Amino acid sequence: MAVIREKGYTHWDGRLVERRFPWSPITRTGILLAFRKKRFKLVFAATFVPAFVFLVGLYISERLEDFKAMIQGSDRLINIGPKYFVSYFTNDSLLFMIALVLALGAGGLIADDLRHGSLQLYFARPLGKKDYIAGKMSVAAFFVLLYTAVPGLLLVIFKLVFAGSFEFFLKYPWLPLSVLGASLLLTVFFAFYIMLLSSVSKNNRYVFVLVFGVYYFSEILFNILRGVFRTPYTALFSIPANIKQVGAAIFGQAPPLAVPAVWSFAVLAGFCGLAAVVLDRKIRSVEVIK
Amino acid sequence: MAIEIEDISFRYGRVVALDGVTARLGEGAVGLLGPNGAGKSTLLRILLGFLAPERGQGRVLDYDIRRQQALIRRAVGYMPEGDCFISGMDAVTFASYFGELAGMPRQEAMKRAHEVLFYVGLGEARYRLLDTYSAGMKQRLKLAQALVHDPKILFLDEPTSNLDPTGRKEVLELIRDISTHKSIQVLLSSHILDDIESLCETVVILKQGKVAAEGRMADLRALDYSLYEVRVKGDPAAFRRDLEGLGGRVDEMEDGLIKIYMPEAGDRMDIFRAADRTGVQLRSFVKSRTSLEDLFAGVVGVD
Repeated sequence: MAVIREKGYTHWDGRLVERRFPWSPITRTGILLAFRKKRFKLVFAATFVPAFVFLVGLYISERLEDFKAMIQGSDRLINIGPKYFVSYFTNDSLLFMIALVLALGAGGLIADDLRHGSLQLYFARPLGKKDYIAGKMSVAAFFVLLYTAVPGLLLVIFKLVFAGSFEFFLKYPWLPLSVLGASLLLTVFFAFYIMLLSSVSKNNRYVFVLVFGVYYFSEILFNILRGVFRTPYTALFSIPANIKQVGAAIFGQAPPLAVPAVWSFAVLAGFCGLAAVVLDRKIRSVEVIK
Repeated sequence: MAIEIEDISFRYGRVVALDGVTARLGEGAVGLLGPNGAGKSTLLRILLGFLAPERGQGRVLDYDIRRQQALIRRAVGYMPEGDCFISGMDAVTFASYFGELAGMPRQEAMKRAHEVLFYVGLGEARYRLLDTYSAGMKQRLKLAQALVHDPKILFLDEPTSNLDPTGRKEVLELIRDISTHKSIQVLLSSHILDDIESLCETVVILKQGKVAAEGRMADLRALDYSLYEVRVKGDPAAFRRDLEGLGGRVDEMEDGLIKIYMPEAGDRMDIFRAADRTGVQLRSFVKSRTSLEDLFAGVVGVD
């Protein structure tokens, strides 16, 4: 009889604990696994570039005299106010980088589990479907918050530090809340977005393509429809346009297009609702082959 | 009783997977035997709470399968049938991850992961990426993740599928060690008779979603017939007809061996008399032990 044991089995004398957030190991492991992927670290670091650029703009705004020659035509970056923050939260490069980070770091979160049949291992533990989804979504949420809430609040703080007074804060006391609101909007939307796309394919390369395909297809569709119908309401078909509409409203600014921001919010909320329904149907402990 | 189920029924759409299954599974290693599609995996999934039965009730370690699924899953280690791993992970991270999800503190889970990986023979490969593991290593890995939180019961679904003979032998050896020396109860689902026969003290045979036979292996072997293995010279067809006329069943093997199942009440001399009547010579005559294979063939209706 072949003996393959290198060490005998011993019973564990510890006690299983009931965690308040049973999904927390899923989140922590998901984040760690993202950093083990090739190229991810570079993309992760590059995603802070927009925040750095806005920080430089913020510094320059307090040293206008020193940088007079440089700042011509850069009003958006140096007029620090709600518009500045709208620009940060809805600029195309930030949204693109968030999508890239999520596609690389979180695109396989569910797709890989579906591909390798590991869902049943999760559900053989005292975890429910909600715990599983919460754990996976929190990975996406972590990255999005890292690029939105953290830099957003830091920009507010740096503004106060560079200005050396609380005048800015007294002028816009609601700004930190708006920063959190805009961060929450992007976090919730992108978390649902990546989870939805990760759950519709077993191949994370397809997921990667889908993340950008759906995002930019919606924008192209908007532009085509706008050209045909000559109405700004076609913006409701575009993911980036809806984000920009709602983002502007959160900071009390006029939306870039003449469409009520609440409509855009409803579209984004509807998308998240649809994603929740799809996730509920796709995440199963038992895959029934018909 | 570790597991008690009563009148469990389940269907996938219009396909009946389980139909009024009632069983009491006690200590030690218990086999769940049946051909593909008999409902074995479905029963395991119901016991784990993956599927809610349409009808019936059950308890695992005294926890209700409908209402106390989380408690059951804490106490049970599950090794599923198909491949399942997490891409980009090494074995230690994988095992400790599922230990943590079962409720183990992080450091304990990591320490324990090392222990169980050594136990299942993956000690040297524990830092290798799972994507590079062979089929046999993945089977052992699945066993490791099922053992990591030191469960009271192990549910093993086709643990030797896709393994070469050596790998199969090694995994069976591990399961035997767990079930006999480690006070962990094992519920082994398999369609491979040898696996069940070599490991289990008790067996439940499922056929088309129903319990076809159930009991201790020793009791099931003591069936209401006696098995004889003979070799003859002459016309086996006439010999066969004669024996069937006496209420026996005759199976002719490819190598010329003839298995004769005679009613328990019958006399072994009937076989010699039948040979005499039909003019065949008996070249060898052995009273064989009734194996699980015979039982399985009898109740499931296959040769």
